[in-house]
Amino acid sequence: MNTKKRIALVIGSGGIKCAAAAGLWRVLQEEGIVVENVVGCSGGSMYAALIANRVDVKVMEEWSKTLWTSDIMQGYTENLKASKDGSLRFTERSGLVDDSALNRKLREVYGEWKFSDMKMPFKVVATDLLSGEKVTLADGGVFDAIRASLAIPIIFPPWEVNERLLIDGAASDPLPIDVAIQDGADIIIAMGFTLDYRARFRSMTAVQEQLNSIYMNNILNSTYAFYNLAHHAEIFPVIPEFDSTISMFDVDKIPSVIEQGEQAARMQLPHIKRLLENV
Amino acid sequence: MEIHDRQADGVTILSLRGSIDAMTAPKITEFIQGQVSRGNIKLVADFSGVDYTSSAGLRVLLGAIKETRAQGGDLRLTGVQPDVLKVLNLSGFTNILKMFDTADAAVASYS
Amino acid sequence: MVTKRDKPRIALVIGSGSVKCAAAIGLKKVLEREHIDVDMVVGCSGGAIYASLIALGWSVERATESTLRMWTREVTAKRSTRGILQLTLPWVFKFDESFGLIDDRLINRRLHDGYGNAIFADTLIPLFVTATDFYSGEQVVLSEGRIEDAVRASISIPYIFPPQKLNGRFLIDGYQSDPLPIGVAIKEGADIIIAMGFESPYQEHVTSLMRYNFQIASMTSNNLLKTNYAFHNLAHHSEIIPIIPEFKHRIKLFDTDKLPYVIEEGEHAAEQQLPFIKSLLGK
Repeated sequence: MNTKKRIALVIGSGGIKCAAAAGLWRVLQEEGIVVENVVGCSGGSMYAALIANRVDVKVMEEWSKTLWTSDIMQGYTENLKASKDGSLRFTERSGLVDDSALNRKLREVYGEWKFSDMKMPFKVVATDLLSGEKVTLADGGVFDAIRASLAIPIIFPPWEVNERLLIDGAASDPLPIDVAIQDGADIIIAMGFTLDYRARFRSMTAVQEQLNSIYMNNILNSTYAFYNLAHHAEIFPVIPEFDSTISMFDVDKIPSVIEQGEQAARMQLPHIKRLLENV
Repeated sequence: MEIHDRQADGVTILSLRGSIDAMTAPKITEFIQGQVSRGNIKLVADFSGVDYTSSAGLRVLLGAIKETRAQGGDLRLTGVQPDVLKVLNLSGFTNILKMFDTADAAVASYS
Repeated sequence: MVTKRDKPRIALVIGSGSVKCAAAIGLKKVLEREHIDVDMVVGCSGGAIYASLIALGWSVERATESTLRMWTREVTAKRSTRGILQLTLPWVFKFDESFGLIDDRLINRRLHDGYGNAIFADTLIPLFVTATDFYSGEQVVLSEGRIEDAVRASISIPYIFPPQKLNGRFLIDGYQSDPLPIGVAIKEGADIIIAMGFESPYQEHVTSLMRYNFQIASMTSNNLLKTNYAFHNLAHHSEIIPIIPEFKHRIKLFDTDKLPYVIEEGEHAAEQQLPFIKSLLGK
């Protein structure tokens, strides 16, 4: 295998679907494709961190099943009601969810990790709540970065890092390929996820979700389109497709999500290998 | 990558077969440039035989399309296969290139 | 790089930005004064209103006057009874995608009075209006039929106005897919593209859930604007000239009393880019 071409992996936002990154990681390991650095956004940052520390795919799967359970949403229903009747004061530091369960679970895995100790260079993308700008995190504690990048607006409270209030990286860039470009990658393998569209709208929440999906999918497309033209070498998009809608807490579907990630990776594999053989 | 060309109503139809990637893109560009230098600036690319488009391949192809456009011409697509269409969508190409269901419709779009 | 054709094709693209879009009148004023002819106009959301008036060849005075007549506080004053019932009792008054909080009959009538059955074929220069498909999230480019229908679709502000049904599609505001649809001009063969765009303002303080929602909406819309611009900038074969008016005061949705100021800022922003536009045209 040629070592002159630097390969970077970017894992985009996609909630529980990001577990598909474990399938991609398995394929790359089996095929001996050496990744040199990893970038993650939102849910993707959790898996990017695990890959950067060369965590085993089996461990990733088990950990996914324990994280994506409904207790990370504690307080949501009550607070939503309270925000509607005005008894909950909502500020820039608020979220509808009590994040203590999420924080505890994330700390169990990432609590002690530092960017400087990772086995491969690793970066996380979040968004500045007040300016809307993309923020790349690569210093200090990994937990803080992942927690910030995961802060779905309205749902989870923002997370303060270096005196900036940060939210979900997806609000600025759901698949931050540019971080890999800036760091000098040649071949970029980018795993991204589109949000599902609905066909029926029985409530205001359904309409809100649809509008959010439209925005997010359009941002994903437009950033990808730009990076595709801006990069000097190949970007391989790995976009898993799921037969059924994967909801936030479908932990039963995690094995099949990983399987879909593996399949999507295998579709690009011949092209990746062909390129590596020809340079 | 195989490329054939034919004329129809003052429009040049290029039929492409194979994969558009970093290795094949220079050949396509050269072919398009050859057409443009002969004054053939109204181009239709028939993609029915294209099974894969890579990122670098699309970038090089766009370079050729931009040159054609700078001469007052255009390159329009037909016969795009579903898998390729997905990539063209993701890469924003469907946003900036005209696409038609049939080669005839693509040719007619120039008149 | 200007094209080798004798006369480059010039497109005007006017992005979304509600009342701020009236700055396009100022831009048009400058172009008219300099005898710079435009070959096509593209508009999105509030920009669609001005794009269509320019395409129809209305004078600056008439366009200004018509804005004042069309866009008043009353167009969003009347709540939609159905919308409110759908929101409060969704299980009784079946909630569906036709939901909108505001009764849209007045805005529809105003648009109808303004455009008077004008169709796209009536325009002096080709016109393209963008909207977004509510089911697929894709940009939809409208260039046929009644202009009022296309404009109505393009300004279907989520939650406020119900989406517009058009040719079997359910359409919402064009800014949801691209706040500054330069791609349409590229696709339609423009060389020099003059693009007037507007950023959504950020909240100074997030003090309520609603303001938080506004903040997120501004953020996503601005990021979409920037990344699309970045892409179009690389994808285009010739020059794209951005014209981004700056407003010292916050312009709210119905600040039509600030219209003269908005037009002036549009003029000012256009003047700044004028030397470059003229040099491209060899003037």
